[in-house]
Amino acid sequence: MNKKRLGLCALSLCAAALSQHSIAGEDLFGYLKGAEALPEGASELYQKVTVRDGKSVGSYQGIDFETEYEYGVSNKFSSSVSAKFMSLDTDGLSVDGYLPGAKDIGFKASGAELGMAYMFLSPAKDDLGLQASLSLDYDWIDKHSGYDKDTLSLELGLQTQKYFMEGELVWLGNMAVETTYADRAPIDNLPEDFDWPTDPEMEIELKFGTGLSYRFAPNWFVSAEVLYETEFETEVGQERWSWFAGPSLHYGSANWWATLTWLPQLAGGGEQFDGQDTDLHLIEKTEQEWRFKIAYNF
Amino acid sequence: MSDSLLTNSLWFIPMAFVAAPAVAADYLSIPQAQQLLFPSASSFIERPTLFDSGARSAIKSHAGTRQRQDHQPIWRVEKDGQLQGWFIVDDVIGKHEYITYAAAISADGEVLGIEVLSYRETHGGEVRDESWRANFKGKSLKDPFKLDEDVPNISGATLSCRNLLDGVKRLLTIHELFLARES
Repeated sequence: MNKKRLGLCALSLCAAALSQHSIAGEDLFGYLKGAEALPEGASELYQKVTVRDGKSVGSYQGIDFETEYEYGVSNKFSSSVSAKFMSLDTDGLSVDGYLPGAKDIGFKASGAELGMAYMFLSPAKDDLGLQASLSLDYDWIDKHSGYDKDTLSLELGLQTQKYFMEGELVWLGNMAVETTYADRAPIDNLPEDFDWPTDPEMEIELKFGTGLSYRFAPNWFVSAEVLYETEFETEVGQERWSWFAGPSLHYGSANWWATLTWLPQLAGGGEQFDGQDTDLHLIEKTEQEWRFKIAYNF
Repeated sequence: MSDSLLTNSLWFIPMAFVAAPAVAADYLSIPQAQQLLFPSASSFIERPTLFDSGARSAIKSHAGTRQRQDHQPIWRVEKDGQLQGWFIVDDVIGKHEYITYAAAISADGEVLGIEVLSYRETHGGEVRDESWRANFKGKSLKDPFKLDEDVPNISGATLSCRNLLDGVKRLLTIHELFLARES
């Protein structure tokens, strides 16, 4: 890690220590966020593992690890800090402008994130829960290619949540806008005529999602979520879009909970690479993701 | 799956040993709750009630909350042959598991008190505190049964508080529809 990255990382961690940020509560879904805040003084420690698998050509598997600590600053305001790690193993796949070729990196620190959330309305007390979230994410490795890339993202999100049947059925709605500044490091020995832009770029991503979760037995929830993500970039306009949908299984108890999610990409469009054999967007996304989360309450 | 996944994941195993405070489970038996809520009673006459679908619909219509179970454990409470009230055991949905509680209802349909028999949630153990449960005393169907109006909310356990409040209103409705005529 160079001095610049080390400085940014230290700055992030200092800010985290000062602000003690977090995003709230028990996750019934793999990707959607609820609108219920942690109570004041409560803490939660998460471990998330996401496997990103398949780009229709060759082999591609990225594994993202995120360790997150959340803290309830007040009964409505929570904050979080995350440390991120990743590994990547890809072979037989070259995507002009994105993936120069085979790459195999082991477990490496890749980024850090700060988050905060404010609950305006409680889903258990009001007719509809409403929460706003803000997160600042800094990554120094490109999660798609595994090469060096400084990425700074700011995401503003809104979450809604409603309980039905005394809490046996839970509905969530999410929307978010993420703005990203990215700057790739040059790399040597690129394939001939391979495009690898190193000028900084700005992107805006919009995310929408909804889902239902049903408690089919004490402690056990089964859920289904649908996500739509699209990204706009200065030169090409709408760069990509994708629909994802998949199930989750959740177990929650007094002290800990865990959620397992499978999220395949159902449809996608925008930029595609030569040789892919589906209509999905597979440059920045994969054919499917698996996510496992486990968390402990303090 | 990458061969390194298992190796990489081992890094996080220490999380499994993070100590979290144990949250209690069963606090009171039914006889203990009966003694606490009706200390001067001489007899508890079990009168288990089976609700058909029509009765459950009537309860939901009046209480605004589902009557999930067909079988409702109810005891007629007497002292020297005189009716003192009704003792009802009920389950409501908590965030993870059912919360079991008992309510004492007077012959004229007022809450005399509640006791929490089991509570297994992450937050909100304060529902067992006498100061919180005391907010239910004297409540009747004339009250609005709104959280933070009738009974204060407990942060982190809002769903539990709301479901307990709705549950007590449902038990008062059961009293009005099915037990008051026996008073």
